[in-house]
Amino acid sequence: MTQQLLQLLLNGLITGTVLALTGVGATLVFGIQRVANFAHGELLTFGAYTGLLVNVVLGQNIVVSALAAMLATAVLALVLHLAVLHPLRGRGLVATSLITVGLALMLRDLVFLTAGSELHAYRLDQSVVYNLGLIRISPGQAVAIAIAIVVVPSLTLILARTPLGKSMRATADNRDLAAVAGIDVDRIGRQVWLVAGALAGLGGVMTAVVQGVFDPNLGFQILFMIFTTVVLGGIGSAYGALVGGIVLGLVMELSTWSGFAGGLDSKYKPVLAFVALILLLLWRPQGLFGRARVL
Amino acid sequence: MMLEVQDLRRSFGGVAAVDGVSFAVAEGTITALIGPNGAGKTTVFNLVSGFLRPHDGRIRFTGRRIDGLRGDAVARAGLVRTFQTPRVLTRVSVLENLMLAAPDQPGERFGMCWIARRRVAQRERDVRQQAAEMLTLLRLEHLAADYAGTLSGGQRKLLELGRALMAAPRMILLDEPMAGIAPVLALQLLDHIRALLTQRGVTVFLIEHDMEMVMGVSDRVIVMDEGRVIAEGTPQAVQRDERVIEAYLGRAA
Amino acid sequence: MDLFNPAFWLFVAAIAGIYAIMALGLYAQFSLAGLPNFGNVAFMAVAAYAMAILVVRLNVPLPLAACGGIVAAVLLAFIVGIPSLRLRADYLAIATVAASEVVRYLAMNLPDLTGGPLGSIGMLGPGQVAMYNGAWLALINFLTPVGIPRDATVAALVWIFAVLAIAALADLQRSPWGRVMKAIREDEAAATAAGKHVFAFKMQALVLGAVLGAIAGELLACQIGVFSPDDYQPTLTFYAYLILILGGSNRIWAIPLGSVLFSLLYSGTRFLNFFPLSLIDSGARAFLRLFLIGLLLVLFMAIRPQGILGNRYELLLDK
Repeated sequence: MTQQLLQLLLNGLITGTVLALTGVGATLVFGIQRVANFAHGELLTFGAYTGLLVNVVLGQNIVVSALAAMLATAVLALVLHLAVLHPLRGRGLVATSLITVGLALMLRDLVFLTAGSELHAYRLDQSVVYNLGLIRISPGQAVAIAIAIVVVPSLTLILARTPLGKSMRATADNRDLAAVAGIDVDRIGRQVWLVAGALAGLGGVMTAVVQGVFDPNLGFQILFMIFTTVVLGGIGSAYGALVGGIVLGLVMELSTWSGFAGGLDSKYKPVLAFVALILLLLWRPQGLFGRARVL
Repeated sequence: MMLEVQDLRRSFGGVAAVDGVSFAVAEGTITALIGPNGAGKTTVFNLVSGFLRPHDGRIRFTGRRIDGLRGDAVARAGLVRTFQTPRVLTRVSVLENLMLAAPDQPGERFGMCWIARRRVAQRERDVRQQAAEMLTLLRLEHLAADYAGTLSGGQRKLLELGRALMAAPRMILLDEPMAGIAPVLALQLLDHIRALLTQRGVTVFLIEHDMEMVMGVSDRVIVMDEGRVIAEGTPQAVQRDERVIEAYLGRAA
Repeated sequence: MDLFNPAFWLFVAAIAGIYAIMALGLYAQFSLAGLPNFGNVAFMAVAAYAMAILVVRLNVPLPLAACGGIVAAVLLAFIVGIPSLRLRADYLAIATVAASEVVRYLAMNLPDLTGGPLGSIGMLGPGQVAMYNGAWLALINFLTPVGIPRDATVAALVWIFAVLAIAALADLQRSPWGRVMKAIREDEAAATAAGKHVFAFKMQALVLGAVLGAIAGELLACQIGVFSPDDYQPTLTFYAYLILILGGSNRIWAIPLGSVLFSLLYSGTRFLNFFPLSLIDSGARAFLRLFLIGLLLVLFMAIRPQGILGNRYELLLDK
């Protein structure tokens, strides 16, 4: 039981970190754009496949692949913003949501068209297993842990200390106030899209290596967990998303622990995220930490 | 007494906006609720009309308890309100804006348009007739087919007033009827309000920020400040009341 | 070749009619009441599954089971609707699509009840083939004259129902009920001040949408004969949105136009055998279809949100 618990804790932390990193980007964008972006999951898919291209076709190692994925996805995110979402802002909540749905369909099916629907995998020898006493770590998880150890503190530092990070947090938190305080909201908006894209690309690579095998549905499968992370942490709150992601990841994994009256069947983990999302939207849309704000 | 309010209370985030307010409005009168900004007047209106739930207190309309009723239930009970910024339906024609508010429309029940065609059509004809007469009364009949969104601010106020009257109410709550209107139109509005009372027997309870406007038309005035009633009486008496003068002058109005 | 095969086009016509009914259900919720329900597919799924389960496991005759399916969808409308009707538009959209995914996941993972990932085939367990639409097929056979493809009967039945339903809803829209709905769409406070119980009206629209969605889902299930959770992905809801938007989301009689255009687009991609599209194999054509659907959604919402026949001023999409 303890072994299972420790293993689940590790899995939860890894899942949680992916959600946290992706969630930071998503919450910043949602906070500034003020509308739900159904295409955000597809940014992860794009990142995963770009990284795959660099890793398998161009023969580069994981680090280079991840960096390439981050760069490519950042550019894609910015293009989407400049070409579609920024010109069409102010259309209203439903119209914009439908536009993001259309973009999601386009992105996902472009990947299906180019990469096919078979399962793919990064060049990692998945048969190796690292034994750390009571728990086991797959190569994919090891990569994800390594990435997390580097990226999470750096990201937190950037958000907390740099002028860019502070402006981003301020604008996502209260766009009008930031504008009044002299922040160039449009410029910050563009930068936020770049950051969100980069983090999504990284999240895609991490998800792909942790899962082992993946197909273009990767992003859609994780989309609602990202929504839940964002709402849990409070829309627009970067720190909230960091914490919310870890919390959600841990809750989802730990719910299957047999110590909880047999535990939840692991098939139902995503359902947990969906139900949490619905309940949050209905009764506590400001999440765990947010103040009740009128968006 | 048509409307009786006893010990009404409502707070927002710990701050009492309405702090134990009691008053009564007599049938057949025009009563004004005045007071400086932030006195709680609109909150009282929202509480009385069912758009806000009171935290404490009792509200009686024609003897019946209405505190806790939903806004639409209060309206159907004969107590109809207007809004400070007129809420007309901009994408709907002026005539249909009025037709909306007619009471007892069987066609509004789901499915009735299929199973009781003649009854629904008959009532529609009557409602359309009534709405057209109202438009003539308001001197807006030339705008009947236009989208209400094309109306000016003053015309929208008139339209909203007409909509309130379509329901044949016993009492109307007018939320700052003169706000944002050119003085010429304001006089016209004043005429309409007086006519309301005499021709239709509708009791009027209005909020107005501008004391001058109101003095000429009201039978009674209730003054609020900081969530409480501080004075009540005829316009002349209230105007001379020291507490009222202090409330208006004692802040940078 | 398929292009000139009438049986193929009759099949497409039947599906187009069913999609029209599905889009009408969305119309009732979105265009009449202003509720952006992104999880409409759940009504279709719940009804189809309830109907199939009643027939296959409890031996309930099909007409009764179909009613049971409609009841199940209406129950779902109450469960989902009552809490979420007061949500802001995009939160409502997210909550409803999350709910439809919960329904799909439950269908996927309760094999004893729903047949799991195998869907209706697996409902009776391994080795036993389950068929629920026997009575439907018998009816169609009975009604079809000799020598005419069965799909002609289906298409006729479906379109007759669709047209009658559209006419009935058009009546409703013109009636005082529709006037109240129009008011609620624009300004709920004004409607309340005019004495209308806003929540009750919204629930009526939601239930109407659930009933129509249920009928569409059941017709689809009967026509195709087999279904699985994969047939009830959120994409189906967005087909309905595109159908509404193509024709004009505030013009009820544009729904047949929208659904026919959509079906032509959807089935027409298989005929695009010229370069460069011939480079894409037929399996991948499905992805091309979806890509085009996404593109059309974006293009129409960007350039012509009122659709082909709609009225832009009355659209009220800028809320």
